[in-house]
Amino acid sequence: MQLKINTVRSDYAGFNGIAAVAAKSKEIVLDTLELDFSVCNFFEANMAAPLYAVLARNYDRLNDVVLKNIRPEILEILRKNHFLTRFGYTEAHDRNQTTLPFKIFKTGAGEQFADYLDRYMQGKGIPPMTEGLKKKFHQSLFEIFQNAALHSKSESGIFVCGQFYPNKQRVDFTIADAGIGIRQNVRKYLRDNKISSCDAIKWALQEGHTTKTGRQPGGLGLKLIKDFIELNKGRIQIISRHGFYQFAYQGDEIRKMHHDFPGTCVNIEINTADAYQYCLRSELQAKDIF
Amino acid sequence: MKEQVTIRVADIIGSPLCISAEDGQKVYEKLVPLLKQGRKVTISFERVTTIISLFLNAAIGQLYDDFDEGRLNDLLSVTGLTDDDLDMLKRVVDNAKRYYANPQSFDQAWVLEGSDEE
Repeated sequence: MQLKINTVRSDYAGFNGIAAVAAKSKEIVLDTLELDFSVCNFFEANMAAPLYAVLARNYDRLNDVVLKNIRPEILEILRKNHFLTRFGYTEAHDRNQTTLPFKIFKTGAGEQFADYLDRYMQGKGIPPMTEGLKKKFHQSLFEIFQNAALHSKSESGIFVCGQFYPNKQRVDFTIADAGIGIRQNVRKYLRDNKISSCDAIKWALQEGHTTKTGRQPGGLGLKLIKDFIELNKGRIQIISRHGFYQFAYQGDEIRKMHHDFPGTCVNIEINTADAYQYCLRSELQAKDIF
Repeated sequence: MKEQVTIRVADIIGSPLCISAEDGQKVYEKLVPLLKQGRKVTISFERVTTIISLFLNAAIGQLYDDFDEGRLNDLLSVTGLTDDDLDMLKRVVDNAKRYYANPQSFDQAWVLEGSDEE
């Protein structure tokens, strides 16, 4: 089977384009999936993570994947971020050091993910951020990573990738899985087989809402990230099955996807020029907690 | 008066990273018997570099299922947290109080239909 990849950016059209590959290839087994990049004029490097989630589903069905007709500038960026080494290409030197390379983690590999962030987030081409901003960004990424590890049931792992865009003073970091999606967890928890992907995402975003079924409370992680993104004037996108959600400081939107994304993907974009100190409630005393 | 005890989180979990529910559970399991004995416990986060809500839910949040609020207020204290981490802990605690005030029933027998309908 041959499919064309259009221009892919971190937006509704870009995620739909990737989900379309999943939808069109979902029936093929023991076949070769050829992705033709001849009409792809631009590919935002962090989008390698959701693309790989779709390809992982193809590998599960014992399909081969071949990428072809990739333009030289896209080839360069996807070699720099190590994505193309999965397809037989050599790595390219990341001279400006603006990539957070593509990597696959096992779901229990939180500590290795920490090592990855330590290695690639420090200095290099990524601008120095205030200590408070760096800490909030790391916390947000861990919340997302561990959410994926806990809820996705992804058998092929968690796919991560990031890119610094110097002109925009933004870092995009994307964490994707090839798991069951938010909808299935929420349907099971609420015992409602009719709930849509968009409604499931909206439910999961409410403070205190969690599909964990043990005796531990939860459901704070996404709300904490949203609060941070609002202060930072950044952006978070959540794509899960047929749902696309985006929150930015200007407001939020939720839309049904044209195609079924086979898992969940969270893209967090932060404003690296942010000088806010992130000491949110310094008047709070330790004795007032419990 | 029983002696005050300090629990050092980084030592219990063997890491400066408080990022998993499993590690939170280890801390919780150290806290429960001490609190049942009525000991005053200080939870020290010295040398911890990263904390997320998932960890705090397991380590501290679920204590509100075992003990009432007044007892935890009398017995527990924390040190070594920055202001913003203290704020996160406060939100975890408030969330836990709400959670256990309205426990969700979970029907294990309910079966998810294999539907892809949107």
